[in-house]
Parts: sequence; C-alpha cells; structure tokens
Amino acid sequence: MAKGLRGQQPSTNTSPTRRLSSLSKGKKKGEELDYSAPPGHSPIHATRSASRRLDRGRRPPLRRRVGKMIGVGKAKQYANVLDKPLSRGRQEVSLSAFAFLFSELVQYNQTQVDNIAELERRLEDAGYAVGARVLELLCHREKGNRRETRLLGILSFIHSTVWKVLFGKVADSLEKGTEHEDEYMISEKELLVNRFISVPKDMGAFNCGAFVAGIVRGVLENAGFPAVVTAHFVPIEGQQRPRTTILIKFAEEVLQREARFG
Amino acid sequence: MPPLTGPKSGDALFGSVERVNAELFTLTYGAIVRQLLTDLEEVEEVNKQLDQMGYNIGTRLVDEFLAKSNVSRCVDFKETADVIAKLGFKMFLGVTATVTNWDAEGTSCSFVLEDNPLVDFVELPDTCQGLQYCNVLSGVIRGALEMVSMKTEVTWVRDMLRGDDAYEMRVKLTKQVPEEYPYKDDD
Amino acid sequence: MALAAIYSLFIINKSGGLIYYKDYGSAGRTDTNDSLRLASLWHSMHAISQQLSPTPGCEGIDLLQAHNFDLHCFQSLTGTKFFAVCETGAQNIETLLKVIYELYTDFVLKNPFYEMEMPIRCELFDLNLAQVIQKDRVTLLGR
Repeated sequence: MAKGLRGQQPSTNTSPTRRLSSLSKGKKKGEELDYSAPPGHSPIHATRSASRRLDRGRRPPLRRRVGKMIGVGKAKQYANVLDKPLSRGRQEVSLSAFAFLFSELVQYNQTQVDNIAELERRLEDAGYAVGARVLELLCHREKGNRRETRLLGILSFIHSTVWKVLFGKVADSLEKGTEHEDEYMISEKELLVNRFISVPKDMGAFNCGAFVAGIVRGVLENAGFPAVVTAHFVPIEGQQRPRTTILIKFAEEVLQREARFG
Repeated sequence: MPPLTGPKSGDALFGSVERVNAELFTLTYGAIVRQLLTDLEEVEEVNKQLDQMGYNIGTRLVDEFLAKSNVSRCVDFKETADVIAKLGFKMFLGVTATVTNWDAEGTSCSFVLEDNPLVDFVELPDTCQGLQYCNVLSGVIRGALEMVSMKTEVTWVRDMLRGDDAYEMRVKLTKQVPEEYPYKDDD
Repeated sequence: MALAAIYSLFIINKSGGLIYYKDYGSAGRTDTNDSLRLASLWHSMHAISQQLSPTPGCEGIDLLQAHNFDLHCFQSLTGTKFFAVCETGAQNIETLLKVIYELYTDFVLKNPFYEMEMPIRCELFDLNLAQVIQKDRVTLLGR
C-alpha cells in the first residue's frame, strides 16, 4: 500500500513531512502494516527509525500487529503511535475548545512579533504545519492513498475534501482569477477561525485567516504545487461583515508543468 | 426564550454546543507546540509556556462553561471537582474524566483521563522526553478555578506519552480566596 | 412611545470598572463620565447589599424597582456584572441578560484582541448584541 505512493511524489519535494507510507490505517485489527518508515505526522517531528525506537528501555517492545496492544482498563496503550489505528476523523471537540486554543495561538504570536506582516507570517507558518499533515492524513484516509497531480484536482480537493474535514463544510466558492492566469481564489462568507474574532481598526486589513492560508499552502506545497497563499477580507454588498478570500498564486513551475500535461 | 433550568448532563451539554472535527483541534495544538519548541528551544521553557497558555485559556473559558452549563455555585471543592470532571471536560473536549485519589482533607484529588484529544498522532521524540505535552490542560484547570476564587496547583502524575497507562493530573487546592467586598476592611 | 424594553445596558468587570455601556434611548442623560461613575457606584451598592443580608450566601441585588424604571442585574460567578435599566415591569430580562452573558463569552472572551478586564471594543459583540436587542423589541411589538 505504501510503495506505489512514493513513486507518485514529485522529485522536487524532499520535505520530511511527506511520508504518506508511514500512516497506519488499521481498518481491521490484526491487519499487517508497514512500519518501516518513521511517523510523518506527529506534530513534533518524531523522526526516528523503528529500530532505534526498539532500543529505548522505557517503552515496551514494538508490536508488529495492530491487534496486539497492552491494555489497562479502558485506556489503550500502544507501543508507538503507528500501532494505533488511524482515527476515522469522526471524533469531535467543541468549537469553543478550538476557538479558545486558536485565540491563544494568535495572542502568543502577537507577543513574538513587531509588526502585522510578521504576525501574518507566523500564523501562516503554524497553518502550514497543519496543512502538511492534513494532506498526508486525507490522501490516505479519504483518497485511498492517491494524491491529486493536476492543478484543478488539487484545488478542488482543498475546496471540498480538506474544507469539509477541517471546517465541516465545503468552501463557499472556488474561482479562477480574472486578471492573472496563475491566481485562484477560495472564498468563505465566514471563515471558521474568524467566527468570534473582531480585528481592531488599528490593525488595518489583518486577517487571522492567515492561518488558513497557511493550511492551504501546506497542502499545496507538499503535494508538489508551490504557491504564495494569502488571506483577504473582501466586502460584500449589503452585508455588514466582509467575506474572506484565500488568494492562491501558483509558482511559475506549476503552470509550466500543467501546460506540458496539456 | 426557555426559562432558566438546572445543570445539564455532560452528554446533553456536549450535544448542545457547536462542534468541530477533533483533528483540527489536535493538529492546531501540535502546531502550537512545534512553534514553542522552535521559539523557546528549552523543553522546560516550553512546558512553562504551555501551562501559561492553558492558564490564559482557563481564565476566559470558565465564563463560557458557567454560562452554558447552568451550574450554580458549588458548595465545596469536592463538588467543583466533580463538575469539572463530568461537565467541564465533556463540554469542551467531548470526554469525561474520573475523579479519584482524594486526600483525607478533601483538598487534593486526581483527574484521570482515558481519552485525550490533544495527543492523537503524537509521539515524543528523544529530544523532547521532558516535554509535558498536555500542560495546557492543567493550565486551563488552574486558570478556570482561579477565576472562581480557588487557587490550585496542578501537576501531571501519569502521562501515556511517557509510557503510563492513563493521563492523570493532580489538583491541589492551596487557597480558597474569600469573596472580596469593597468597604470591608476587617477580617 | 419608546418600543424599547431596555433603556441602557452596562457591563462592569469584577473590580467595578465599566467595560461596556450602551444607551437605547434613555433621553440621552448619561455621558461617559456619568456612566463610569454609575457603574462604580452600582458595584459598591451591590456589595453593600450582600453585607446587609441577614443570612449568609447573599448574591447581591438582582432587581431594583423605581417608580419609572426597573434595574435588573446579573452577576456571573466570576464577578462580571451585566445590568440593564428597563421599563417598569419589563419581562424576561434575566433571560436576556444571560443571553448577553453568552454573547460576551463568545464574541469578547474568544477574541484574541480583547484584553481581559478592559473596555469591550469588539465589532462582532456589538452586531450580535444589536440583533438580540432587536429581536427582543420585535417580540414586544408582537405582544
């Protein structure tokens, strides 16, 4: 299940986060899984090899089968994160829990910057890390280990699959820029991350959607579509609140490759 | 508008609030931890910052809990702990905690979590063995309780990321600040 | 005749500082300084009422009735007070204040640009509050 995917990866991308092969789906207990690659989507870069993990005294030895786990009470314990069946993505937390966490992410980053451009960049970086992992997770779970290789395919994957999983709905619109061939826009009347946020007037056009722009860039870049992605408020006639548009400007190489594909 | 009612059950509460996919939450938390590791470098500093961030969240989140759960003032710390375990964890994270290991004075107890949405996908690498990955949760408890006049110390005693069989945090009530009245300069 | 059940709304922090004030047509009597002073006085009176209580556990004044207005006050367990000056006999104000408390937890406390205990300047809080008050007025009209 893992080998074919590797072959699909564009040679330009050597990011350590691209390890689709390492995800263990664990659909059925006891299913044989390939543990040869390190975990790619641990949020803190767990990048050791399985053999080194075996050396560590503290943990029980690596189990080769998902079905075998060391259980105490109801709590399940796995020798390592790859033994754990991949979640189906049906678990939920309250929107509030996310909103408070996101608010704290923004507040923390405000203390780390001198200006708004830097704040945007840092939120985008945080989002990028999420996007890179979301790509791995969803290609594996939702797409049967296949990844989009064409521009419109990956855009529609973001607009529908990624949006649905992360924000519970398909994005309101996906459009091609009218002035520039390399620009695309994903728009949302009310971005989930902005639901409770009022940006003070003195921060100008700053949009916390920079985090979502980062997610989009993380997905695109790790799928081999480098792009500059930014978030903008766009006023809508007759509405008190502007919508947010995520503007995607693809790198030249992406468009050239598309042209070659025909 | 419906009349004011008594406290809801944990399940009813979680069912009544708007929810999102836990993966968005988990991955966003992962992104925060990663940023802190990059910014602060020292694992100990990251632990402190996570606790501080949790505290900040707690001081804000407590009002939402009070507003939406309809709980009234708790009579003592024991009741407070039960409310947090059964309603608080459920309302925000969709999981329940068990309250155990009370001391004789009834001022310290443990919250045991079997499910913890923060840690999906996580494994501590060798360089981060000292990381208290879930410190944000203990911070939230401390911050929230402080807003209702209870000073606490919250520490982790078991952590599945470190090979334990559950997540357990110890909550110790250190001081119950009495209500502050202006124009009262005695006691 | 004013349709508003509410003449004005105050939110004060746990130290008695006014963090939000909105006038809904109380004959334009209170300027900023007045409202700040009123908030602080109300905070003290509320505390005094707790001390006056003959039995322990008093939570302070919930309702103050005058011949031409009612003042309804809701205090959260964290010490933030929401109070509204209303028409005499205005109904369901407790519920309305609780709804406003919920709006506060959503659009103020979850806003990363809001600093705790400071004056509330959150566009979304204003918008949602206006809607709730509007709805309340429509309900009244339909009566």
